[in-house]
Amino acid sequence: MNQSKAYKISFMDIAIYFILIAFCLVTLVPFALAIIVSFSDEKSVVLHGYSFIPDNFSLSAYKVIFQDGVVLASYKITIIVTIVGTIFSLIISSLLGYMMSVSKVKYRNVIAFILFIPIVFSAGLVPWYLNVTNNLHLKNTLLAYILPLALNPFNVFLLRNFYKSISPSLSESAEIDGAGPWYVFYKIITPLSKPIMATIGLFASLSYWNDFTMPLWLIDDRKLFSVQYLLYRINTMVKYISTHSNIANVGLPSETLIYALFLVAIGPIILLYPYIQKYFVKGIMIGSIKG
Amino acid sequence: MRSRNGFLAEFRKNGSYYAMAVPGLLILFAFAYLPYPGMIIAFKNFNPLKGIYGSDWSGFDNFKFFLDNGDFLRITFNTLWINFNYILWGTLLAITFALMLNEIKNAKMKKFFQSVMFLPYFFSFVIVGKLILLLFKNEHGLVNELIQSFNGEPVQWYIEAEHWVKIIVSTNIWKNVGYSVIIYLAVIAGVDEEMLEAASLDGASRMQKIRYILFPNLVPTLIILTLLSIGRIFFGDFALIYAIVENNGMLYPTTDVIDTYIYRSLINGGQEYGMITAVGLCQSIVGFIVVIGSNWAVKRYDKDYSLF
Repeated sequence: MNQSKAYKISFMDIAIYFILIAFCLVTLVPFALAIIVSFSDEKSVVLHGYSFIPDNFSLSAYKVIFQDGVVLASYKITIIVTIVGTIFSLIISSLLGYMMSVSKVKYRNVIAFILFIPIVFSAGLVPWYLNVTNNLHLKNTLLAYILPLALNPFNVFLLRNFYKSISPSLSESAEIDGAGPWYVFYKIITPLSKPIMATIGLFASLSYWNDFTMPLWLIDDRKLFSVQYLLYRINTMVKYISTHSNIANVGLPSETLIYALFLVAIGPIILLYPYIQKYFVKGIMIGSIKG
Repeated sequence: MRSRNGFLAEFRKNGSYYAMAVPGLLILFAFAYLPYPGMIIAFKNFNPLKGIYGSDWSGFDNFKFFLDNGDFLRITFNTLWINFNYILWGTLLAITFALMLNEIKNAKMKKFFQSVMFLPYFFSFVIVGKLILLLFKNEHGLVNELIQSFNGEPVQWYIEAEHWVKIIVSTNIWKNVGYSVIIYLAVIAGVDEEMLEAASLDGASRMQKIRYILFPNLVPTLIILTLLSIGRIFFGDFALIYAIVENNGMLYPTTDVIDTYIYRSLINGGQEYGMITAVGLCQSIVGFIVVIGSNWAVKRYDKDYSLF
């Protein structure tokens, strides 16, 4: 019975649980409501407002999503951008990070400085915008989603620090056997860096999946809308869909459609969250210790 | 001559490594360096037909025009005020939550709380915007329904600007607090166990252990994270604010920050480009000074934690 003291529930414990549960509810309750609304009947939502126990369940919002070409096309855009962007971003970032980690490369710190300047001094939105549209001609192309987000200097520095921590004797002995830098990077270094690649790859995927600023700035062709941007433009899109699809006659669910699209946009992240969370936690911990 | 030789010899010797840097550097040049020359528009009377280089010079007219037109004070104040509140309350809450989670001995509950707390970090800004809409919609929004169920007067949230600093700051904290909590929890995990046990043996209460052992251990990280966010204080959180406020002019008095102002002028068309580039240039220069200053402060505090 000596242990009873340790198990005694104090006022402090109750207060802590109370506050933490309250904070979790702030996240979970609106989220749950959003999902319930997406499965509700449009008419009852318009008449009586959002309700945790809807008068009538309805799948009509999801019918629109899965029947309407605009929504499915936007989903395809998001998936393509996320996959291609993540792979491209991982390749260029790891190569650059590796190059900067090799101590015999004389100008590696010059490169690091070049990478660092834009972090502290940016040209601003207007020059950036004019450059991307007039020099690079990326307006209304898929590359507008992929290229601007491909190189995150923080990730490159994170990778460099990881590569630095690998014992140089590994690559040195391979070089004595006649292996070139590319071979060493591909066959020796990359297999060793799987965990950090997973972490950085997931950070990149998340930023590609979630971004809505690139389409906001650079896309006005409806065929190229991503899911996030479609959700952002939902009000104009509802008008567009209702004039272009056969669902129009039945009456387009707009309130419920927002939250159906909401669930479609966030679904994959919620499903993967339990499995990917630890990589993000790891990444944040590495990043917070001297970048 | 010698340095030139050294230059060439280095590229001959380590050419493969430099080749590895090329794709990354190309992206960097295309999106970060190529825009730099365009900054001269700040000193020009920009005409889209004449282009960046063909437009006429206008000296400091763009700067003068901006300083005179009254928006300057409002957007600078909004940017600083929103960021200041975010840094202050965000830091306080992150530390409090980290210390609270640390007090929870049930590993499963602790993991659950931490996971839910981290979840909003994964929500896109558009998703966040739609959640805010669900909560604060003037008609049928969750908050107004709640107010009405207590016989209160519903608030016209999307018309009345005075509420939105609170809403934006809370949303930002709610979205990012899980991230900071992870950092602080990592620091707490590194606190010497023996010290805590010794304190218990000497009869220290939980509050005393928090106050005299755990909190002091968090202070260095707290200072560093704060200084780093002060470095960004002149930059508004464009994506967050724009996804929430969109182009609702009613809310501009409190929510319009430098970055949303620049974006709106950008979509309004070419004749304002000169002025907003000037705004952006001021922001970049002041931002640069603040970053360098805060980093200098971090460095003085603890060399290991400086950004550069």
